Amino acid sequence: MRPILQLLATIGAVFSFFLDVVHTAFTSPRYVAEMLRIMATLVKRCIIPVGLAVAPVGAVISLQGLEIFRMFGLERMLSSLLGTAIFREYSPALASVMVAAQAGSSIAARIGTMKVRGQIDAMAVMSVDPMRYVVVPGVIACLLVAPLLNVMTNVLGVFSGWFFAVPLGGVNHGAFIEHLTAQVTPADLWVGMGKCALFGGAVGLIAGYLGMNAKGGAEAVGKAANDTVVYTIVLILLVDYVVSMALLGAGI
Amino acid sequence: MTMLVEFLHFAWRALVAQFSQVPPLREFAQHFYQAGVGSVGLLTMLTVFAGLNLSVQSYATFERFGGQDFLGMFAGIGGVRELYPVMAAVVCGARIGANLAASLANMKISEQVEALEVMSVDPMRHLVAPRLWAVTLALPILCGYANVVGIGASYVGAVWQLGLDGGTFTSQIAEYVGLADLAVGMFKGLVFGWLVALIATFHGYRAAKKEGAEGVGVATNRAIVHGAVMCILLNLVISWLLYG
Repeated sequence: MRPILQLLATIGAVFSFFLDVVHTAFTSPRYVAEMLRIMATLVKRCIIPVGLAVAPVGAVISLQGLEIFRMFGLERMLSSLLGTAIFREYSPALASVMVAAQAGSSIAARIGTMKVRGQIDAMAVMSVDPMRYVVVPGVIACLLVAPLLNVMTNVLGVFSGWFFAVPLGGVNHGAFIEHLTAQVTPADLWVGMGKCALFGGAVGLIAGYLGMNAKGGAEAVGKAANDTVVYTIVLILLVDYVVSMALLGAGI
Repeated sequence: MTMLVEFLHFAWRALVAQFSQVPPLREFAQHFYQAGVGSVGLLTMLTVFAGLNLSVQSYATFERFGGQDFLGMFAGIGGVRELYPVMAAVVCGARIGANLAASLANMKISEQVEALEVMSVDPMRHLVAPRLWAVTLALPILCGYANVVGIGASYVGAVWQLGLDGGTFTSQIAEYVGLADLAVGMFKGLVFGWLVALIATFHGYRAAKKEGAEGVGVATNRAIVHGAVMCILLNLVISWLLYG
């Protein structure tokens, strides 16, 4: 009974934190410069790991997909599977997981360190709202950076898939491109981008929540950073599934 | 670059320490339990969603050209060979690797490792080797477990949610997913486990005293990110060699 109550209490706390963030984000003053600074750091830190993590996925889909499609002599259809899988699912999910691992954990560690050292309280004393100055810019930065990185990983994923299908797998280049452009619709792209923004916002939100609730010493900071990664991965997979079901039901 | 050279040197020392002597069994058992049993809950939850999702997502794709009856084959092959092992490695790598890196870095910055050396206890043999063995042996088991749970979940997704024929699904799994595929999945787990543990202990071991608490944070972060990236890259290499 106790763990369930605790879980419910945590969900409630996260939700009220979320409402707080939304309320703060939509009222002024806004610290846009701070947000842009965080965005620049995040992009710099994430671009290489995210790219390296997502690019091989396209290649793997091509490798395995080719083997399956070959059984039916449908190799030319490969690109429609590759395109939808990358645009809709793997690029947004994996890019967000890597953003959580790299950016989320560093944001949580930064906020947690400030909290543990009493800098957050000091800020509040100086009547600078820490939610407004520290948490909200981080959430918005994650929310914007994740889709931006997703654009890059979409291209990388499709390109590595193309590389393993056309030069290495012997699929006809024209057929590959034709099915890619015919079967993959802008809706696929927007679904992926929307998901990525959703996941990115969740990364920032969880990082902010866990950072602000860090108690104790250096260990608590490390724990906040770790927990951010694990909880975000769980949340991403869960939300991904719910969104997929909803979209399937809606026929998009 | 220097980090790469350092890493190779560390890997060599770790390999020597791993195979030169039976690791301290108590330490090994403790880490094996933490890495293996400690990850089961998280892994189960994630694999259930990943398996359900694999069915739902590929259904939407296959439906476009009327291939929904082959969902079982796709979910089986794609899941067992690629998705579940990589997911187990990335997720457990994030959890286990972060713990390993944090605990070693903590020991390093509080000079416990130097204290061991002073007592002429080789830290590579006593700290690193048991952790490496524990994760290397735990991850294949976790991968095998994830494969079973994942196939079950994609069956539930395909048959109960999407209303496909259950018999077709199971017969396709039985026909196209062989023991060889399960073995490949577990072999990948073995490689990933060793790599994740090696990267995590390397970054933990690299933390210097002067970095203080921040060094612990840097070590954990790098352990997670480098571990995940390397597993995904290596997965492509292994798949390419085996199926390309």
